Amino acid sequence: MSERQREVDAFRRQQGERENHLIDEYVAGRVTRRDFIRRGTMIGMSIPVVGWLAAACGGSDEPSGTGAATTAPEGQAGGTFKFGLTTPSSGLDPITVADAGGLCLNGQTGEYLSYSLGDPELQPRIAESWEANDDATVWTFKIRQGVTFNDEASTPMTAADVAATFNRLADPKNKSNALSVFQGVLSGGGVSAPDDTTVVFELDAPNGSWPFLVSSDNYNAIILPENYEGDWEKTWIGTGPWKLDSYTPKVGASLVRNENYWGEKALPDRVEITFYDDAAAAVLLLQGKQVDALDATNIANGRAIINDKDNFTIIRINGSTHRQLSMRCDQEPFKDNRVRQAVALTLDRQGIIDGLFEGYSDLGNDSPFAPVFAATNKDVPQREKDIEQAKQLMADAGVPNGFSVQMNAIKTGEVPQYAQIVQNSAKEIGVDIKLLIQDPTTYYGDAVFGKSPWLDSVMSLVDYGHRGVPNVLLGAPLLSDGVWNAAHFKNSEYDGLVNDFYAEPDIGRQQEIAGNIQTLLLEETPIIFAYFYNILTPTLKNVSGVVPTAINHLFVDRATKA
Amino acid sequence: MLTFLARRFALALVTLWLLSIIVFVGAQVLPGNPGRAILGPFADDGAVEQLNHELGFDQPLLTRYWDWLSGFIHGDMGTSYVYNAPVSDFIGDALVNSIQLAAFALIIVIPVSIVGGVIAALKVGRLIDRTITVAGLSLAVVPEFVTAIVLILVFGIWLELLPVTAAAPADVGFFEGLKYLLLPALALTAVLFGYIARMARAGTVTSLDSDYARTAVLKGLPWRTVLGRHVLRNSLLPTITVIAVQAGFMMGGLVVIERIFNYQGMGLLIFNAATRKDFPMLQSAILTIGIIFIMMTLVADILTSLLNPRIRVSRAES
Repeated sequence: MSERQREVDAFRRQQGERENHLIDEYVAGRVTRRDFIRRGTMIGMSIPVVGWLAAACGGSDEPSGTGAATTAPEGQAGGTFKFGLTTPSSGLDPITVADAGGLCLNGQTGEYLSYSLGDPELQPRIAESWEANDDATVWTFKIRQGVTFNDEASTPMTAADVAATFNRLADPKNKSNALSVFQGVLSGGGVSAPDDTTVVFELDAPNGSWPFLVSSDNYNAIILPENYEGDWEKTWIGTGPWKLDSYTPKVGASLVRNENYWGEKALPDRVEITFYDDAAAAVLLLQGKQVDALDATNIANGRAIINDKDNFTIIRINGSTHRQLSMRCDQEPFKDNRVRQAVALTLDRQGIIDGLFEGYSDLGNDSPFAPVFAATNKDVPQREKDIEQAKQLMADAGVPNGFSVQMNAIKTGEVPQYAQIVQNSAKEIGVDIKLLIQDPTTYYGDAVFGKSPWLDSVMSLVDYGHRGVPNVLLGAPLLSDGVWNAAHFKNSEYDGLVNDFYAEPDIGRQQEIAGNIQTLLLEETPIIFAYFYNILTPTLKNVSGVVPTAINHLFVDRATKA
Repeated sequence: MLTFLARRFALALVTLWLLSIIVFVGAQVLPGNPGRAILGPFADDGAVEQLNHELGFDQPLLTRYWDWLSGFIHGDMGTSYVYNAPVSDFIGDALVNSIQLAAFALIIVIPVSIVGGVIAALKVGRLIDRTITVAGLSLAVVPEFVTAIVLILVFGIWLELLPVTAAAPADVGFFEGLKYLLLPALALTAVLFGYIARMARAGTVTSLDSDYARTAVLKGLPWRTVLGRHVLRNSLLPTITVIAVQAGFMMGGLVVIERIFNYQGMGLLIFNAATRKDFPMLQSAILTIGIIFIMMTLVADILTSLLNPRIRVSRAES
């Protein structure tokens, strides 16, 4: 037995059942190195330990092309870094922010417990480490010491501030979008700080993915002072590497280096952020070198820079951003799951990806399990276009000649084009889809059943942003009591499987449950998930050190220009 | 003249009052729930109802209209639903931006178009006339955003001579700031040149064919005097009206140009306010544009009267 093996055995003797099971799965090759590292940090193992174990125990290589791509700083520090950002569409209070521009601004001067950057592991930040009890109903986080807020007094940040932040987010009266993550899991008052260094989350239900749900993936979870009074737009209070210099609504903002930052000081001296309303105009800003980077671009507007590898770098992130095409399971013509399957079988998914995204997308297999999730079961066969089978299913369901139906679709991004592709595809089996493309306000309506085209339409096409774990995507759109269940899908077997998934911290077991969920959803097909598209962040060629995320954060404190 | 001005002013007030009603009612019938639009689709129902109550949406329509209009008259344009800040701050900044761009564009397009139209009229039927007419028509039919993108590509990206955005940094000087406005101003010039030049050409041709012009020539007056004192003074009357209308349009109708050049003018302000159901912003911005539009047409009427004594006399007699 080698020295290394003895060390691993000695380490394992001190670990719990959950940690040892994960190591067994990794050694047996049932978990990739990437997933091992990700799950290991999630259950509380430190990054150095996980990295050491990953090397010591071998295991398969990480799949390529996944995770956050970023470039290590190569150029000169100092100077001003400029980037273009989609104009925040509403107020900037981190508690209630709900748009890409606003959350990106929050993330400049504010910080999270940990950062989900697309790498296998969560990166500790305000939290140094975390662990769960045996049934994952209580999570204990150790809070970093020596952190201060960027106010004039450099007020120290303590565990009490962290507890107050999450109690505030979990309280329905504060109307935070974080409630969509915490619903059924964390109630207001469920977070306590027994001492200055410890925060305890007492959950309403077991949750094996809790660290991700309080990471930067939950964009409202910026750590704020315990006595925060809702004046963020004046102060931009936070513990991050930047401080506010000036802010002009609808125009832009300037930030300067926070010299009291607890971590590595920002490399640029200042950041200038220019807001843009139009994606095409943003591309022109970058082409005209008036900014060094953009928060994001897409194929429709950014083809010129995406294909210009000599002058621009495109940071590509595989995420879980997608579109859900729901079909009401409680109404004709989609009551019969064979009809739903038939519509799904008309789609040439690879063709859609190539046409809409020039390949910058992952295939969807009609479940929320995006390929980027560690828990996704990759053994479930991929659904592909099959018109003959689709026609047979329609005949078996008693509608061999098809039918006419209206689809309500939200007007954003490539959704209208995707809707047209679905419309054309469905014609092959006699399904005549009438499109009604609506602006977001009209489409969402009041976002409750009975008052929302999104939730009430027979066929509804909506956009969903990225999540670091599939929990929210499994719940709200698909559980029998899900508040976003546009398909009106009610399946007790599915509900049971999802609750099992939520409670399960072990990656191998999660993948087993995921396989069952994925198979069930292929059979029932309440929603078509055709793709999960990549997030593309463009920079000038001489720029390095920029770190984007799949939900539109853009971290530039390590940015340099050659 | 004073009577004329007083009547025009009274008519302007009536027009603005009618505009305020149209704007207010139009904003109310836009689909969507303001409280929901502000809090987002996933906010709690109760929170949305409470916000609608705080914003007064459960008040009768007439009460809301009067509150808004009386506030506007007293200089209080209300608070933006989206930004929770005084509307007047946003309108003030956007109006200054729009005026700057419109003024710069007009400084370029007015002399260029009038000179072009007059030259075309003086050389009617000849190559230069055809060139100016065809060029003007061609530029007029190309949408301004297409022209804008071409200008950006050529001068901003390929040649790197001019900035691609119209929003200058706060610390640039006056002339450096004009560089940022040059491309959008040129895009607007391209669109307006054909229209104004054609009006100037038509008016000049008509005036050149008139009896008074022929008399002036037969009297032996120098050609420059005939043109400057007799022909242009009459030929440009319709052109002045067109310029005034276009100036009013440029104050609030340049949504596409402002989006492309990332320029926070009134057009973009109104567009964003409409899509986000920011009613105080939308209503006050449109009414502001209405006021400016009416002022511009009033100025045009005054100029027309000054240039054409017959109009002064006939209005005085009536």
